[in-house]
Amino acid sequence: MDGHIYGYNLPISEKTKAVPWEEKVRIVEEVKSDFRYKEYIFGCLNCGVCTASCPSNRFFDYSPREIVQRFLEEDVEVLYDMMHEYIWACSQCFTCWIRCPFVNNPGGLVAIMREVAVRNAFEATKDLLKPYGRVLLKVMTTGNQLSADMLQPDFFPDWGPKMADNMENLRAKRLAIPFDVGKSVKTAWEVSLETAVEMYTIWRETGIFEMLEKLDPNLYNVIMDIVEENEERYEELYEEEE
Amino acid sequence: MAKHGFGHNSPGGLLRYPEEPPFPLKEYSAHYDHIFEMMEELEAKGEILIHRITEEHQPVEVFTRTGRIKTIPTNKLWHHKSCGQCGNIPGYPASVFWFMNKFGLDYLNEPHQTSCTAWNYHGSGTSNPVALAAVWLRNMHQAWKTGYYPLIHCGTSFGSYKETREQLIMNKELRDAVKPILKKLGRLTEDGRIVIPQEVVHYSEWVHAMRYKIADLYQKEGKAKGIDVSNVRVAIHNACHTYKMIADDYPYDPEVYNGQRPAASTAVVKALGAQVVDYSTWYDCCGFGFRHILTEREFTRSFAIQRKLKVIAEEVKADLIVTHDTGCTTTFEKNQWIGKAHGMYHPVAVMSDVMFAALACGAHPFKIVQLYWNCSNYEPLLEKMGITNWRELRKEWEDTVKYIADLEKAGKYDELMEFFKEYDLYEPYSRTSTGKPKASATANMPLFKS
Ligand code: SF4
Ligand code: SF4
Repeated sequence: MDGHIYGYNLPISEKTKAVPWEEKVRIVEEVKSDFRYKEYIFGCLNCGVCTASCPSNRFFDYSPREIVQRFLEEDVEVLYDMMHEYIWACSQCFTCWIRCPFVNNPGGLVAIMREVAVRNAFEATKDLLKPYGRVLLKVMTTGNQLSADMLQPDFFPDWGPKMADNMENLRAKRLAIPFDVGKSVKTAWEVSLETAVEMYTIWRETGIFEMLEKLDPNLYNVIMDIVEENEERYEELYEEEE
Repeated sequence: MAKHGFGHNSPGGLLRYPEEPPFPLKEYSAHYDHIFEMMEELEAKGEILIHRITEEHQPVEVFTRTGRIKTIPTNKLWHHKSCGQCGNIPGYPASVFWFMNKFGLDYLNEPHQTSCTAWNYHGSGTSNPVALAAVWLRNMHQAWKTGYYPLIHCGTSFGSYKETREQLIMNKELRDAVKPILKKLGRLTEDGRIVIPQEVVHYSEWVHAMRYKIADLYQKEGKAKGIDVSNVRVAIHNACHTYKMIADDYPYDPEVYNGQRPAASTAVVKALGAQVVDYSTWYDCCGFGFRHILTEREFTRSFAIQRKLKVIAEEVKADLIVTHDTGCTTTFEKNQWIGKAHGMYHPVAVMSDVMFAALACGAHPFKIVQLYWNCSNYEPLLEKMGITNWRELRKEWEDTVKYIADLEKAGKYDELMEFFKEYDLYEPYSRTSTGKPKASATANMPLFKS
């Protein structure tokens, strides 16, 4: 069957059709077993207020109402299918959450679905997140997500001619900020080594490095090189003190 | 759990309601309130330590959406910086620091802070609630250890931290999962407790709490310089992650739309005497989308132009859009020029509440407010405000940049350090809290390497 009788108006993909039923059930159950699930979904009037105010709904074939409805219907086939590309349309603005008369949080459900899709290394996830590699590299190694040197005018020609001007003499401009913020180029602020090393422990203990290894092994290797180098530097510097 | 209502005070005083509703209320029972009482219970059981706001923080009281009294600390603050602001809009944090200097407030800005990592989570899904909680608690522990109260600069950090706090208080399984990690990091109290701040506080709430002092400074110093904002038409954009995430916990005020809309930012613009102009899509997000601004830019551009910039231009002809989050500022700022291609160019200046307030109070547009970085058309706004010498000020800034670049190129680091001693408004790199050598995670700055 193409699409769905209740209104999910995208054809069920071949990828989803080819997956054994038990596997689809396992994935949907993994989403539902997240402790946040019960805090994000209560009941649904099918009123469509969430979808009417959803920014992503204006430009994508995407509806938060549909997500809530499919969970309440336990529609495994559609939910599994949504976890390929559909959920990545969400802007995570949470307009749906503040407006829903039931205080459902469709954006929150999407966050859980994305996390499960990444943890289970869905193919679509790998493709969708490729251009996100620079942010991942930065956040995993320094604990900063954005820095001055990421705003290269080549990447953002649509941001206009003033951008090129911004990047000229970048380091001197940064140093000329008269406060101890934003003076660095590779990080948003100069992150102390001990802070970065604490961050690596968090990634290790919470399985984030593992997630990344499955998602993009090359990026993972680059990141681990930096992590190990920084951990060694940290030990050399502070071993005697502790 | 206690029943809440007007006149209610929790035993430990964290949850407080005034005797009467301060403005007409749509929702009487806030779903968020119970966490304050649960925090008190958890503290009594010895599970958590509440980092309390005390007199030394010079607290100011504001109301939230449900009329709860929220305490905003204004002094002795630990700056939880925003990677987006520092990396992309440096005039934003610089304006916050500039005001704190002007008011003679005590603050601490040190390198022992990570981002909240929530942008990454919302954009890529590569994290989880345990990691987000560990990052938050680690940063909060660092603030508590220094004796300064955390002030969260970023809207997403603020929203995510409010959510994380609720999850932690409500879910023992999350507390149990995160505790061993914090122990490993040395981020529990000596008797093994998690440190949780009494209130999660956004910088825009600080600006809101300080609005009358800011207005006084404008009268005293801005006006003396010939600056006048009374003709400036300002469209306000509230950030989704400040008021739609954990919606109950953000300031509302009888003076701002009779308490029916978020008050921060609007209130400071009003206090300064500028004109707040209303437009029909005030409620819409900016189109940032986390991953969209990087990888689905046609969505971000289309949304920003069609739902916000065009509407603001056609309905109210604003001179300025005032924001209070990095993502929104960037989205509006950077997605104007491309509209030219389709005859949809609606040039308007974009900056945060604190940047506009700093300009009004006479801060240097380039050295402090760093407008040099802005892609939007800020020049007509400066003219309208009476800052007509902006070309000279820009030249002065460019000369400073050139001076620094030349000295560094010549390897004259000692001379540079001497220059910074006079130039920096915050003793550079002197105030860290650990006493350890200041080794950097990136070591990309030979000048300041320890
Ligand atoms: S969080 Fe996602 S689903 Fe909800 S309104 Fe925003 S874009 Fe739509
Ligand atoms: S707003 Fe709430 S009740 Fe209405 S359709 Fe969306 S999820 Fe269902």
